[in-house]
Amino acid sequence: MEVSGGTMVNVLCCMCGIPIAPNASNSCPSCLASKSDVTKGISTEATLHQCRGCQRWHIDAGKWMACDLESRELMTICLKNVNGLNKSGVNGEATRLVDAGWIWTEPHSMRLKIRLTVQKEVQSGTILQQSFVVVFVVRNQQCIECQAEFRQGSWKSLVQVRQRVGHKRTFLYLEQLILKHGAHRGTLSIETFRDGMDFYFPDKGKAARFITFLENVVPIKTKSSKKLIGTDDKSNITNYKYTNLVEICPLCKEDLLYLPAKTARNMGNISRLVLVKNITSLIHLIDPLSGQTAQMSAEAYWRDPIRPVITAARSRFVRYIVLGKDPVIVERNVSKKSATRRNKAKLAALTVAKEDDLGINDVQIEERSHVGYLMKSGDTAVGYDLTDVQFVDDEAEEARAAGKFPDVIILRKLYGGVATNEVDAAKQRMFKLQRLDADKVEAEKSKKAQKDQENDDMDEEDFLREVEADKEMRLNMNLYKTEVAMKKEEEGGKNNNDNDDDDQQVRLDELLDGLVLDDGPDKDMGEVELNEDLPWGGIDTFGMMEEGEKAAKDGIAYTGREDARNVKDKESAMPVSTFGQQFMDKKFTFK
Amino acid sequence: MATRTSFENSNEIGVFSALTNSYCLTGVGKSENFYSVFESELSDHIPVIHATVGGCRFVGRTTVGNRRGLLVPSTTTDQELQHLRNSLPDHVVVQRIEERLSALGNIVACNDHVALVHPDVDRETEDVISDVLGVEVFRQTVAGQALVGSYSKFTNQGGMVHPRTTVEDIEELSSLLQVPLVAGTVNRGSDVLGGGMVVNDWTAFVGLDTTSTEISVIESIFKLSSGRQGNSGTGQSSIVTDMRSSLIDQLS
Repeated sequence: MEVSGGTMVNVLCCMCGIPIAPNASNSCPSCLASKSDVTKGISTEATLHQCRGCQRWHIDAGKWMACDLESRELMTICLKNVNGLNKSGVNGEATRLVDAGWIWTEPHSMRLKIRLTVQKEVQSGTILQQSFVVVFVVRNQQCIECQAEFRQGSWKSLVQVRQRVGHKRTFLYLEQLILKHGAHRGTLSIETFRDGMDFYFPDKGKAARFITFLENVVPIKTKSSKKLIGTDDKSNITNYKYTNLVEICPLCKEDLLYLPAKTARNMGNISRLVLVKNITSLIHLIDPLSGQTAQMSAEAYWRDPIRPVITAARSRFVRYIVLGKDPVIVERNVSKKSATRRNKAKLAALTVAKEDDLGINDVQIEERSHVGYLMKSGDTAVGYDLTDVQFVDDEAEEARAAGKFPDVIILRKLYGGVATNEVDAAKQRMFKLQRLDADKVEAEKSKKAQKDQENDDMDEEDFLREVEADKEMRLNMNLYKTEVAMKKEEEGGKNNNDNDDDDQQVRLDELLDGLVLDDGPDKDMGEVELNEDLPWGGIDTFGMMEEGEKAAKDGIAYTGREDARNVKDKESAMPVSTFGQQFMDKKFTFK
Repeated sequence: MATRTSFENSNEIGVFSALTNSYCLTGVGKSENFYSVFESELSDHIPVIHATVGGCRFVGRTTVGNRRGLLVPSTTTDQELQHLRNSLPDHVVVQRIEERLSALGNIVACNDHVALVHPDVDRETEDVISDVLGVEVFRQTVAGQALVGSYSKFTNQGGMVHPRTTVEDIEELSSLLQVPLVAGTVNRGSDVLGGGMVVNDWTAFVGLDTTSTEISVIESIFKLSSGRQGNSGTGQSSIVTDMRSSLIDQLS
């Protein structure tokens, strides 16, 4: 068609008669616009699904997303649902979306309206632009998670975590680990019991992932079983429920062990009387008198389980006052694996007296301790008193009676208000911890329930004391500032008051800001700071924003209530001027 | 004076009819409507003849003619030829051409003095055209199109060419044909001028879709506005004169 060379003559637009350059339809853009519909093939009605439970919107293929009204995210979902918007036409020319904006709808109308502006090249060189309104009908549909939550027994896989000990400290620690690593994602629900926790999962894989996580953080033993729920022989489909029993090793931090002679020999000829230093996927042991350390794997433990001679519990702890400290010179024992230099350096001989004895008698005990370096005279520490104790284990009792054991084993230093026996010691603490959102399964009898509650509180306090005396433990957890810490910070942040050697105590700079406690949707929102990072379970901003405010924030056009009435369903197409476009595409270089 | 009409719902009336200053051919349709339109306009002056060529009704594309003669392709049967000879005025010479390009209406555009032909037609055909129609023959293209009969239309008064014809081409053609030319469209933007309209020195028929703008261009360039042959220019309304002068302004 093109004739190279020569000036093109102008012809008259076949409809309005204005002179134009000849084109395929020989009509001017505005005449073309008046007779063509750019929005042809684009549906102006669509359906969106929203979960009434969690207010999330259905994206596609069972995926749900939380988004505010008027938000950019919701617009994305809407645009995905407009039929024919992204398809090219018969001749391959694509409709280009150039603008999308919200139009006010009555909040209870279950309708969303958006105004779209599309452009389309109807013939070469002529681009038409047209605006139209798409109405979305919002339908309620329960999302899978909410379905699962409402339906009884919808879980596929259950992980029962148990530890057969009298306290809950391990679970409190585990809870922090889970929170830190986000390992609880994917659970349907979590239940806590006095001696354990249950985690319900919608499928086997998520449960397996969770168990793997547990394996990495605590010594465990697992046992799984499955129960046939139903089977379809024709299609060869069976439906099982899986139950995984995860037993955590009952040894806990600060438990005192009397190892069997053979075990002790195998572990670098360590002293038979050892403390559990800490628990990871291994059991870490330390000889409190020499600083020698050893590890025991979970397999080794379960092959030959050991009962502690003293289980760390508040009733067994004795408070001591440090009266003096002396250096220790460790002579090398060839038959033993020597303690590391670091542990050796921590060793000190302490002169302590029972707190209860002060003012009554003058009994002083001098003993080495693996945490001696932390202490200075006047400090308060907790330890086990081995002088007036009766061991259940015969061998241990014999050894003790024969005087082979030290009189005292110092466990750790006490900090803050706890050390000085203040009443509101717990309130003065600089940090607080996040808690898992777990359902508590309580004992049926109210008396027992009350006792359980008391025990839980006590365990929690003990756990917090452990946390504040152990830096390594804190590495695995998120500690948040309390008001006390914030006040301290304002005052100048000098929290390291006295002891420069003390590397174990809580420092201000390791605390995180702003733990937001989710008080549920009914609480007054005014006080709670919005946390943008929270996942979909976060705070619902319904009703807080003014109309159009969110849209403005997200940079989306918004047609308010008054103007909404004047918006035409479909406006006539307008030609878009392409004047100067060829210059815009060019890249200019300045010399 | 241009009349809108259609042949059985088709706007391409130039396919189904041929019009010269001395006769008019129309294809045989299912109804007589198409014929009647021509008859009512023309029967006072020239014969309007039902015709087929080779048994087909698209007589406008297969034949070409002017005041002096009519050329038909080799597919025309003797009977059809006889019918044409009987119906046409005696002074009109009817001649059958042995030409490979048998759609003569597409490859030849002519008035009573000049003809443009497809560059590929035989030398003999060119001679026959020249002899029978009494015209000077030029091998030409219009806007790069070899089918000059389809993409241009001209009479003794004026002519219309394909909208994409360049100014230079129009000037050249205009000097060849010795009539004013304009680039234009029929049938709401269609560039197939030969298919969309038939025209002679005093009347025109265009497809039903042709807009008033197009009609006004057609009327002004073919000098049809105030009616009859011979008094062109004198009785034209000032509007049309203005429009033509504006058109000529654009062209120059």
